[in-house]
Amino acid sequence: MKKAGRFFILAFALFLATTVVLGAPVLPNVPRGDLLIVDALHGRLAVTDFNIWKPGTQAGNGIQQMLMDTLWYVDPTSGEWINALAEEPPIYNEDSTVMTVKLRKGIYWSDGVEFTADDVVFTVKLQMENPGFNYSGPFKTYVKNVYAKDKYTVVFELTKPYPRFHNFFTVLIYGACYIMPKHVFEKVEDPLKFRFDPPVSLGPYVLKDYDKAGYWWFFERREDWQRTSVGMVYGKPKPKYVLFIYYGTDEKKVMAQAQHQLDCIFDLTPEAWETLRKMNPYSKVWYDDFPWAWMDDVAARGICFNLEKFPYNLKEVRWALALAIDIKEVIISGFNGIERMAPLHEAPTTAFTKYYDKPLKEWLKEFELLVPGYGKFKPFDDTLPQQIAEWAKEQGYKVTMDPEDIWGIGWWKYAPDVAEKLLISAGFKKENGKWYLPNGEPWKITILGLPAEIDSVRLAFAVADQWRKFGIDVTVQSVEAGVFWTRWALGDFDAGSYWPASASGIIDIWPLYQGWHKRYYQPTGESAASNQIRWVNNIASDIIDKMATLKPDDPRLIEYSRDLFKVFVEEMPFISTVINKKFNAYDTYVWTNFPSAENPYMSTAWWWGTFKFLLPFLEPTGRAPSSEYGK
Amino acid sequence: MKVLWKYIIPRIIQYLVVIFVGITITFFAPRFTPLDPVQMTLNRVMSYGAQYLDAETLEHLKETLADLYGLKGNIFEQYVRFWKRLLKGDFGPSLVIFPTPVMEVISTSLPWTVGLLIVSALLSWIIGNFIGGIAGYFNEKRWARVLSVIAASIYPIPYYFMAIILVIVFGYLIPVFPIFGGLSIGIQPSFSWHFVVDLLKHAFLPALSIIIVGIGWWFLSMKALSSSVKSEDFVVYAEITGIPESKILFSYVMKNSLLPQITNLALQIGGIFNGALVTEYVFSYPGMGQTLYMAVTNGDFNLMMGISTMAVVAIATATLLIDLLYPLIDPRIRYQ
Repeated sequence: MKKAGRFFILAFALFLATTVVLGAPVLPNVPRGDLLIVDALHGRLAVTDFNIWKPGTQAGNGIQQMLMDTLWYVDPTSGEWINALAEEPPIYNEDSTVMTVKLRKGIYWSDGVEFTADDVVFTVKLQMENPGFNYSGPFKTYVKNVYAKDKYTVVFELTKPYPRFHNFFTVLIYGACYIMPKHVFEKVEDPLKFRFDPPVSLGPYVLKDYDKAGYWWFFERREDWQRTSVGMVYGKPKPKYVLFIYYGTDEKKVMAQAQHQLDCIFDLTPEAWETLRKMNPYSKVWYDDFPWAWMDDVAARGICFNLEKFPYNLKEVRWALALAIDIKEVIISGFNGIERMAPLHEAPTTAFTKYYDKPLKEWLKEFELLVPGYGKFKPFDDTLPQQIAEWAKEQGYKVTMDPEDIWGIGWWKYAPDVAEKLLISAGFKKENGKWYLPNGEPWKITILGLPAEIDSVRLAFAVADQWRKFGIDVTVQSVEAGVFWTRWALGDFDAGSYWPASASGIIDIWPLYQGWHKRYYQPTGESAASNQIRWVNNIASDIIDKMATLKPDDPRLIEYSRDLFKVFVEEMPFISTVINKKFNAYDTYVWTNFPSAENPYMSTAWWWGTFKFLLPFLEPTGRAPSSEYGK
Repeated sequence: MKVLWKYIIPRIIQYLVVIFVGITITFFAPRFTPLDPVQMTLNRVMSYGAQYLDAETLEHLKETLADLYGLKGNIFEQYVRFWKRLLKGDFGPSLVIFPTPVMEVISTSLPWTVGLLIVSALLSWIIGNFIGGIAGYFNEKRWARVLSVIAASIYPIPYYFMAIILVIVFGYLIPVFPIFGGLSIGIQPSFSWHFVVDLLKHAFLPALSIIIVGIGWWFLSMKALSSSVKSEDFVVYAEITGIPESKILFSYVMKNSLLPQITNLALQIGGIFNGALVTEYVFSYPGMGQTLYMAVTNGDFNLMMGISTMAVVAIATATLLIDLLYPLIDPRIRYQ
């Protein structure tokens, strides 16, 4: 027995001795200084399929960032227009029925075949001929004919005037229609079932290996990176290798970055970030100090209602609910003070704040509600950013920037007395501190939240607290993504914590807001691709129609957009609250010169298609061994 | 012959009925939820940069997807099509990872689950029952009481808490084990010491977490059983007749106490096809639990049915085998 025990102890010790590696590198055979390690957006994704043109194939785990390419990109943070596969912006004829694209010369696929106009033509025609591809519908709607005028020129003849047709090939935010390799797909019998494995790359990297269990994807820089759009536009992507990896829970991402085995994290909770910044002095998000977070994500959260359901069809009720929210309390208790207010129905990014929030601030201050039993009421409060800044200082944080630049220009006043008058004017009654509908039933609201998007649930709970204080019986229902999004599309909700407001890097908001047009209305119970709140507004639709007739760079678009946001404010179809902030922490131990508040040259969204253009800007610190950069 | 008609055949019929009912329930249950796989795919298409679709385009895409996913027709037509495919061993394509066949998705995850859970289940069963049996027999001894306190303290610890502690201690504070995956990046399965060590290194913490919690349960249950059996007449008689204590312990007490534990083990092993979701989530272990979770949250009806069907068949088969083998283990059943 004793001998057996000693044997097992020795065997275990030997086992440990062969395996102990302090701070074990995730890729021990690759010099750490050559490698960038990035958190995978979609989590575990056990796919052997890289045909991202068909519906549902996830592309954010490195596939679109490293391998795919399209004609143009716009960085939402800097607003910079990038001519990628196209040599210059699109050329439209007078009435925008023909779009001509001049392609860059000298771009090659990773298998050595040259990229030409034939690839673009093939991409469009294949999708038109095979219903079921992501862009089959839009191309069939807008493309009458497409052909290669010469080896590097593509001509699109459109079915109707459409000066924004190029947006299909422009990464405005996440992705776009990427170009397919004609020489690969033309040999395929059923392109909708073709897996495209191994994928042929048009981007600056190739897929060297991947985990069939779905936890990592390993990319290697192409030796001919100069023959890609990234190489031609910005130069050599610095990391020789890029690993997209899914570590799992937030705790493990924190541990991995603290061990310098994860350079870029998708998002953390504020609590996880707080732990990380104490564990790793090299970790950073956007601001050097409080509130740290990146607040340029192109969506804003809101409490959305189904406007076909009583009482949310009443504007007075929606405004009353907005005025019953103490947004300062929501931001402090729900988000630890780390959020930017979104009074307009758009995401107040740096760009949109410049175009819309600041210019409309005076209008917001003068905006009046007519409240029966009260009179005229000006609901906007522009002192809120300063109030939150004071709170932050009381907590011991340093606030070095203008509070408006951090927390936004302001939001609606907390005015439960005015809210009460609005509800009474709509026939509501309040007894013993509880609100009752005009028919005498107690007023109950259920707010849907999505646990996978933690801030959706935080907002739901924070707002629920406010409304309960006001006297409404509120329940928060956390549901999984499948149910959350299906109910959104079908209008199967009273209220939900969604993120319907958008932004981008260009002044043309029409691509993002056209979905609010009444033509996209679908009755409750029918699946809606947009306008899931079922808002039908003639004035908004007219403005959207006017915007549609203008070219995307027409400065009149800014005025029309401002008019549209004014309509949103007046009608309050959903209560826009705060921006989708992110703690997308990066580690500056191995790589540096990431974008930041001090140097906002690009978005820090590793999951967007624009990520590939950030890689030439990174610089090695020299702290890790590298085959290319010294040490 | 009598045994065949009175014992075996009724159990086989029951087995087939259980499988049929179980599979039918797994077919209908997701379809009565608000999940809509076509809508889920449309949501993904929308969020990834495709322009808003007008009503006509949307309708066309929905029809195409329903056709691709095999969701056309009413629910009974889909049910009949499902059985026709199932009897050929085909669960159709995964809807989330379209068009990867469900069996291919399952075959990627299943070996990890089977390997981890069978080994963990067996080890915790053997260790827990062995120590629990001895502790139950010598329940008046101090060391037995100490072990009971330890087991009773470990058993109620929430599994997630235990798992995270192991990750933090052995993956970060004393980083001797990796904190994610089933193998190191780049390692391919092979018959080599390097592969085996790497596999064991990645499996150690997940297995340890399951074993620690499992031992608690087996120990406490076995201790209770052996304490009870120890007081039975045949054991007292054996002691009086001077049979050696070790023989009484192993041949009389433990052997009889193990009978219900064997049934529980069989059911536990049958249930491994559901995976261990929390284990796999905490340790990022590539098993069936996360695959099933992904299927459920994304409305992947085919993948849900594939995994659930295998789980139903596995548990029903385990139950049937135990039922058929029990007479060989327990003479009382054999005499009946």
